[in-house]
Amino acid sequence: MTKIKDLDFSWQSKITKNITFIVTKDCQLACKYCYLVGKNEKERMSWEVAKQAIDYILNNEDKFKEEAVIWDFIGGEPFLEIELIDKICDYIKIQMFKKDHHWFNSYIFSFSTNGINYHTEKVQNFINKNKDHLSIGITIDGTKRKHDLNRIWKGEGPEKGSYEDVVKNIPLWLKQFPEAGTKVTISSTDIPYIKESVLHLFSLGIHEVNINCVFEDVWKEGDDLVFEEQLIELADEIIDNNLYEDNVCSFFSEHIGKPLDRELDNQNWCGAGKMLSIDTAGNFYPCTRFAQYSLRSKRNWIIGDINNGIDNNKLRPFLTLDRCTQSSQECIDCEVASGCAWCQGENYDAALTPTIYQRSTAICKMHKATVRANNYYWNKLYRKLELEGKREDFEKRGIKVSPISCY
Amino acid sequence: MLKYLVIVLDDTSVSYCHYNNECKEKRLIDIDTLKKGIVYAMKENLSIQYVLPDYTLPKKYVEVMESIDNIKFCSSNSDMIDEADVIVLNGWCSNINFNREKTYVLRISKEELFEKEKDIKLSFDKMSRLNVVITNITSFKDSDIDRYNDVLNSFSKDVKSLIQNGFKINILTDRIMLDAMNNCNAGAENITLAPDGCFYVCPAFYHCGENGEYGLGKTKFCIGNLEKGVDIKNSQLYEVEYAPLCRKCDAYHCKRCVWLNLNSTYEINTPSHEQCVVAHLERNASKTLLESIGKHKLFVPEKEIKEISYLDPFDIIDKL
Repeated sequence: MTKIKDLDFSWQSKITKNITFIVTKDCQLACKYCYLVGKNEKERMSWEVAKQAIDYILNNEDKFKEEAVIWDFIGGEPFLEIELIDKICDYIKIQMFKKDHHWFNSYIFSFSTNGINYHTEKVQNFINKNKDHLSIGITIDGTKRKHDLNRIWKGEGPEKGSYEDVVKNIPLWLKQFPEAGTKVTISSTDIPYIKESVLHLFSLGIHEVNINCVFEDVWKEGDDLVFEEQLIELADEIIDNNLYEDNVCSFFSEHIGKPLDRELDNQNWCGAGKMLSIDTAGNFYPCTRFAQYSLRSKRNWIIGDINNGIDNNKLRPFLTLDRCTQSSQECIDCEVASGCAWCQGENYDAALTPTIYQRSTAICKMHKATVRANNYYWNKLYRKLELEGKREDFEKRGIKVSPISCY
Repeated sequence: MLKYLVIVLDDTSVSYCHYNNECKEKRLIDIDTLKKGIVYAMKENLSIQYVLPDYTLPKKYVEVMESIDNIKFCSSNSDMIDEADVIVLNGWCSNINFNREKTYVLRISKEELFEKEKDIKLSFDKMSRLNVVITNITSFKDSDIDRYNDVLNSFSKDVKSLIQNGFKINILTDRIMLDAMNNCNAGAENITLAPDGCFYVCPAFYHCGENGEYGLGKTKFCIGNLEKGVDIKNSQLYEVEYAPLCRKCDAYHCKRCVWLNLNSTYEINTPSHEQCVVAHLERNASKTLLESIGKHKLFVPEKEIKEISYLDPFDIIDKL
């Protein structure tokens, strides 16, 4: 039997189904860049909704033929609903066993958490119970001043940052998940703190920092130049101090910044439509970003529900979507197109009409700045390695870089 | 590039396609709007198609309408049937005095089509062209495939002997004559001027009414007016090149109805499974008809319709 650790659980992988439960729309924090514009304390998933969703999925094995599954839990903050999650996960395991489902032993439970409740007894008990099938990412944005700039507690009164409440749980998290990486989000205001933040995360023992700019149109004139400067300084620090030997920052990848072939590189960027997201009311979405609490100006894009199943006609636009059809001619012809990401939900939200076929280009300047800094990084690093006679060894080792994430 | 301007003359004007027009309250287009619409079409080099109501239009309207070359659509119940070029039959009725000079559109449910197939084909020899529009195509099920195939085969036997006399029926003969996509092309080649003075992608987007919803918003949305001109947001999505499923498809006769697309998949450029299956059943029946007649007899020696293994291009999207 294939061991769980041997499976590739990349969310973009064709063999893995990503099923997301939006267990709550509540969160302790009110991060300024959060795309979840409709967070609230009222909408929580009931056990009945969760059970019906699981029954639909596991009873329709012919519709979910992927070899493995990621059961993903998000919010808001998912660990606010740890008791429900524990019940859901127990039920999933029992039902997969009872049905002799092909996902039995080919699953993981995945969480993106703000980390605040990580140390609590209930969360720790859950982790211990499911430790062989778990992936947990704690979001910490970098130094205290960068983290606290955006990731603040919700509520009235003066702003209160959440850094101290999160950083205290990082050692426990890294002890339990030594290979874990974190996601860092960059918006306009925190560009000046990128370098110090990435270096700080490395110093905390987080060796994989997946970092990306928000896809929304928040960028100001000149942001790209400050951003590029930060990345160049970061590149110098990583290379001059040999940090590249043990650490990875997703800003620096050799695959970024190349032209893309119209035919061969025409696939869509993300997995919207190949994933399944379930909200607190039992509605199905092609990705969480199409639920109403994620959308500023468009209506939620429901593709079915727990009572009626998936309407395949509603999925067809997602599953036929390709890069060129949704891109402007400028993007198609772009000389540095590779690695330029998009979020299908943000495309939909920002489009002139209710369509997923109009690509938002709000991050264009930021991507080009990334490419310039990335070119600098590799030119400098390879020159250094050549002079030290280490380039061949370095290339043989390969570099692990996670794809640019949604958030 | 736009080629046609459809002018809906009244809120009760007949539907000649998949959408229903259930409006009973008359609202005739303002005569100045009509005049401006005609001038607009002349300046933009658009051919005009009028969609008529059932009642007799005032003489001054007819005079304005006839100031430019045009095609007129009306229902078989219209008082102006003699003036029209295209007659719409809402459901099958045998007691029509067919006229070979006119084109007939049969709007019919799949159930009625299956039931009255024999009656319908008895009238083929009285017409020169019949366009069949299945009005409830979205309810087409896999279990309907065999029955529709039976209808197409049954029609085909009669069409085989009539085609050389010039008889045409959209669901069997159009595909034979085509070597590239030839769809409705609403929003790309034709737009509609409605009685409210606004432009719409097609009459369906006007007649759906203010309360019409399709899941992501209002189905009624205008694309400009006579004062400001036409402004179609994301206009590229109405073109076949921007429809991933359709641009490599060879069901060339398919309506590729953007109205149905929007309502069934939420995207203008994405057809539903049902629309694809129906079009491919017709395509395959056209192939059989072409082979049974012999392409040389039809003076289409270059035409060949290939054997394919699917009814929905979505099933082979990775190979497209």
